[in-house]
Amino acid sequence: MNLADHWLFSYQALIRHRLRSAMLLLAISIGVSSVLLLTSIGEGARLFIEQEFSALGAKMLIVLPGKKETTGSAPPIYGTTPRDLTIEDSETLKQISNISHVAPIIAGTATVSNQSLARDIIILGTTNDMFTVRNLKLQQGKKLPLNSHIRATPVCILGAGLAQKLFPKTSAVGQWLRIGEYRYRVIGLLEQRGESLGLDLRDMAIIPVQSAQMLFNSPALFRILLQLKQADSEAKTIEQINKAIAQRHEGEADITVVSQDSVLNAFDKIILAVTASIGAIAAISLFVAGILIMNVSYISVSQRREEIGLLKSLGASASEIHRIFLIGSLVLTIFGVLIGIVFSYSVIFLININFPDIPIAIPWWSTASASITAVVVGLLFSWLPAKKAAAVDPILALRGEQ
Amino acid sequence: MRVADYLQWIYRAVNAQKRRTLLTIFGFSVGISAVILLNAIGESLRQYILQEFTQFGSHIVAITPGKTETFGVGGLLNTIRPLTLEDTISLKRLPNAKHVVPVVMGTAQVKWFERGRHTDVAGLTAPALSAWQLSIAQGRFLPTDDMLTPRAFAVLGATLKQELFANDNAIGEKVHIGSHSFRVIGVLKAKGEFMGVNLDDMVYIPAAKALRIFNRNSVMEVDIFFDDNIATSAFSEQVKAHLIARHNSEDFTMISQDDMLQTLDKILRFVKYAAAGLGLISLLVGAVGIITILTITVTERTQEIGLLRALGFSSTQIRYFFIGEAIVLALISGIIGYIIAMSLLFIAKLFMPTIPIVFDALVLILALIISMIIGMLAGWRPASKAAKLKPVLALRAE
Repeated sequence: MNLADHWLFSYQALIRHRLRSAMLLLAISIGVSSVLLLTSIGEGARLFIEQEFSALGAKMLIVLPGKKETTGSAPPIYGTTPRDLTIEDSETLKQISNISHVAPIIAGTATVSNQSLARDIIILGTTNDMFTVRNLKLQQGKKLPLNSHIRATPVCILGAGLAQKLFPKTSAVGQWLRIGEYRYRVIGLLEQRGESLGLDLRDMAIIPVQSAQMLFNSPALFRILLQLKQADSEAKTIEQINKAIAQRHEGEADITVVSQDSVLNAFDKIILAVTASIGAIAAISLFVAGILIMNVSYISVSQRREEIGLLKSLGASASEIHRIFLIGSLVLTIFGVLIGIVFSYSVIFLININFPDIPIAIPWWSTASASITAVVVGLLFSWLPAKKAAAVDPILALRGEQ
Repeated sequence: MRVADYLQWIYRAVNAQKRRTLLTIFGFSVGISAVILLNAIGESLRQYILQEFTQFGSHIVAITPGKTETFGVGGLLNTIRPLTLEDTISLKRLPNAKHVVPVVMGTAQVKWFERGRHTDVAGLTAPALSAWQLSIAQGRFLPTDDMLTPRAFAVLGATLKQELFANDNAIGEKVHIGSHSFRVIGVLKAKGEFMGVNLDDMVYIPAAKALRIFNRNSVMEVDIFFDDNIATSAFSEQVKAHLIARHNSEDFTMISQDDMLQTLDKILRFVKYAAAGLGLISLLVGAVGIITILTITVTERTQEIGLLRALGFSSTQIRYFFIGEAIVLALISGIIGYIIAMSLLFIAKLFMPTIPIVFDALVLILALIISMIIGMLAGWRPASKAAKLKPVLALRAE
């Protein structure tokens, strides 16, 4: 039998039992689309994080004070060390040829007030390089003075939300406000970009790093953000950073350098694991669909005994009958998979059109693995019924006996 | 017709096609066990994490310096409103406070002669031993010195001791942390990790010393363990009033263990239900299976139905036959699914004895009720089809 004949034969069998075939298609396509739609949510989360990272400008390194030798542990998030990482340390890093921007950060909490309006917020002390490294934009006013790392100028830039709360009626730029014990002039407003990787800049104020050193009375940097010129020599640059700091810190490189790539990879790995396991759980439904395929195949084998007997007496071999039934299920499964794929992709398409801000997409590997799983399940579960069909005795079958 | 007759009819119907029945039941029970299993895994995860958090007791309030809405990071950052050791001492005077532990964390190199290791440093006070449920392997824990002028003693975590001293004796030796020297007075037993922090690769020193090493004036957190006989909210109010009186304003953030557990519990419950929800997809496919098979059965038994109608059975009675069959199939599947799920959990328990696994009778009842409802819904259409058959046509059907 050639392929066209097989197709015709299966098609007729499927069309004869419309409801039955429709139910099988439904079962398979529910399984396939649940795998696709659920993995698309995980993929969406991954895309979201990737998008956030690429918004930061591609090649970033983070220097944290402190070092840990515990294997497999988190980087030293406390940032407290006997030997502080200072503004002068960060200035030295500018001499490394592959580093284009250096943004030292002193962070702390303080009360910001304008007359009777007061807020307790996070204050970031930094330099203008921060704007390049984190890709921050101003909606109004100007950036920090260029000598932020040398002079403690009493100026600040406010996040959009904070400006709204402290200056509800007037424009914030040009006004004076109080941070802790000092008075600062507002020189700029950040763009309403909102949250960026756990750092809610809407409710923060940015001041020159020297001013922050004065405000918090501590020279200790919380982080240094670095932007690289070339990403490929990252390892060498990290080595140079360690060397430069060791030279200033009595021969001890007591810092931890985290690359953006390693952070992204860690995120990627976790999300991928979660997505894959959710997909696998959804794939249980494909197994259930497989059992249904088996059940229905058995029923149709026993209903089509006479037909099988006829085919056999016309010269069809047992292996040919086996193949006919396998292909019958295969056709059904493939249709079910196609319906599932078309349905899921349309749903995602509609979401993408109506909510362009939500990054959501079906990962190619889930489409591939769901399709392959469905086909394999379809074949496996119709193997036994097809075998039963192949074993039918033509004489008995034609006579209408069991 | 008596119920017994219905049951017998259903029994015959189910029994007549053994393989078909078995496969239908198998499919649906896979769905049921997926729901039960995922729900149980979610519940185990919830209990495991809650256990991790409540191992220090639930009567704890943590205070961090700086009042911000940003959850948790306050203690790590600089602040213009420090929370000092003097504050800690004054909090000790609260009538219901059992232990008050100031916490200062940081990283430094711990050195013993030529051997050194960069690791975590925890600045604490004596009550931390019982409050954090640490146990001593050798020597003793930090003594109850004056909080502001403690002696320079250090207690090593198990891993750190091994790394620095290997099998040598550590007690009485001098180690350097930063530029300060400390005398080792104790080694802790291995404790493992808590929230990603390895408690064994850590050196424990008095909080005042840690503040000096790190050149800070504010502790990162003060943990107050209070008596069981006072409500968390009442105690929180006391602490709040006390600190506001000292600082003239609310420049600190207070998180009670109860609040944290509640938030955590909410999240974990959501995860659990989401997991069970994923299992529902398989159950849905199983229900499609029941519908399909029953429809086929109705078609096959058209003549039989016609005969029954001709003998005077009402269409309602016919409907009951088929819905009854669907319910019975679903119920048996529910029981089998429960057994499959529980055996898998039992096997898992053998391999991972520390993980809490819950055997909940409520889940069985719920599973059976859900199975019954789904069976009823799945049986509805085929049953209606059977009920609507015209007896004459049905009898004539080939």
